[in-house]
Amino acid sequence: MSNIRPSPEFLAEPFWRHLAQGTLHLKSCADCGEAHHPPAPICPHCRSFNVEWKPATGRGTLKSFTEVLHPVHPLLEPRVPYTVTLVELEEGVRLVSGLPDGLQVELRVGMPLECQVIAIDDDYALPYFLPVDGAQP
Amino acid sequence: MKSSIVGLGQTEFSKNSGRSELQLALEAITSAMADAGLEIDDIDGLVRYTWDNTSEAAVVNALGLTSLGYYGETEFGGVNCCGAVAQASAAIEAGLASCVVFYRSLNARSGVRLGRGERILDEQDGVLISRQAEPPGDVYSAPFGLLVPGQHHALYAQAYKGHYGLSDDKFTDMLGSVAVTQRRYANNNPIALLKDRTLSLDEYRAGRVISTPLRIYDYCLETDGALAMVFVSRERARSMSAKAVDVLAAGQHIFPGSAPMYLYAENTHSLAPEKVGQQLFDKAGLSPTDIDVAMIYDATSMMVPISLEDFGFVKRGEAADFLISGEHGPGGQLPINTHGGLLSEGYFHGLNTIAEGVRQLRGESHNQVDAETVFMTLRGASSMILGRA
Repeated sequence: MSNIRPSPEFLAEPFWRHLAQGTLHLKSCADCGEAHHPPAPICPHCRSFNVEWKPATGRGTLKSFTEVLHPVHPLLEPRVPYTVTLVELEEGVRLVSGLPDGLQVELRVGMPLECQVIAIDDDYALPYFLPVDGAQP
Repeated sequence: MKSSIVGLGQTEFSKNSGRSELQLALEAITSAMADAGLEIDDIDGLVRYTWDNTSEAAVVNALGLTSLGYYGETEFGGVNCCGAVAQASAAIEAGLASCVVFYRSLNARSGVRLGRGERILDEQDGVLISRQAEPPGDVYSAPFGLLVPGQHHALYAQAYKGHYGLSDDKFTDMLGSVAVTQRRYANNNPIALLKDRTLSLDEYRAGRVISTPLRIYDYCLETDGALAMVFVSRERARSMSAKAVDVLAAGQHIFPGSAPMYLYAENTHSLAPEKVGQQLFDKAGLSPTDIDVAMIYDATSMMVPISLEDFGFVKRGEAADFLISGEHGPGGQLPINTHGGLLSEGYFHGLNTIAEGVRQLRGESHNQVDAETVFMTLRGASSMILGRA
């Protein structure tokens, strides 16, 4: 499991608090309805400050991925190889994600994925994306 | 643009310079001014990256510069290598300065390494903490282990491979052709870090995988050293004895999700909208077919095929055929990174890429092409065209 975490100031923010409660939320515009990520104080589509947190559908497609074999920190040596993914959500936003350590899945750019929020501890959870049941990887 | 590059100066490329970044900067600056045939006191402008650890004040104090009337900083590092040139040129055109030095100094191997996680993560009781708002290594990507630029490049590479459905073999040979050809160029270049190390395609294919689909040979070299270049107006350059190279066009372009790392922007198989290239070539009054040599900022080999397509040197999806047939090599249609690139010469955050463009136009390259025009870019975030004076 991930041994990298955002600092407490960041974990206190809504994106991470929602995840700790088990759901992925996205910053969305109450005026035009568009979502964006990473979260910002204004909607980049219509420039309204009327933005709010909304639950995401959790459905997306794989845009890219990499299996990291070379650890860039001594504390990552026990974790390699691990997989980082780039996922495009149905809402049109892109998220960096990954596969839970040790999970062997054959990945293909364009394949459908579904979000699974996995708790690291009581205060911290991550949005992983896994192949949709029945999908042919 | 109405400016010219009239001087180049650099330290050696090394893995351990044994001296401070300030000293390296001063060695490069004084040597560039000597190359230009100018006095140190002629410097009245400085441009540096915000990522550089030396300050304008430190340079002014150390050199005793009495007439510095302009100092400008450009955000990031290599992303903005051509943007720094645009800034130096703009300062001259606006009359803010008459002689501007752009420099970069870094102990990037013996000091803080850009390819390591220690730079961006704190360690606390066996856990790594991210405090960064922006990539690489920001709070939204670090938890998944996306930490350093080289891993982002692996994502670009896989996205490109998947988008065009390239087979493993074709993709490997495309990037292998970049690494092997550039190494051959470096083998002729006496200052290249890897001058004495040959690389065959078979060795490339057998190379250690760092982050799929990229191998060790796809990556640039963390390097110690410094490089500086001197800009004056084109008019003044014509009255000097130095060999001048003209800045024909230079500019920056970032857009949502594209900087500091290209991560959230619309396309993943392409890293710059077509208008970036069109605007650049329009400004210079040239087209891609007019370019004699290309300098493509190769933090990884993957930047070469993507930039060739983004700037219209080849059609979308055709970079693999172009590179596998060796059109970027000696005598090819468009020689690329004739110094060996960041992969094989060394890595001064793009300044050595610019320097090779200048050497080509001065007729001083160790892999000389009969060149009148040189194109350069870092994935479209900044780009420029240089011309023989």
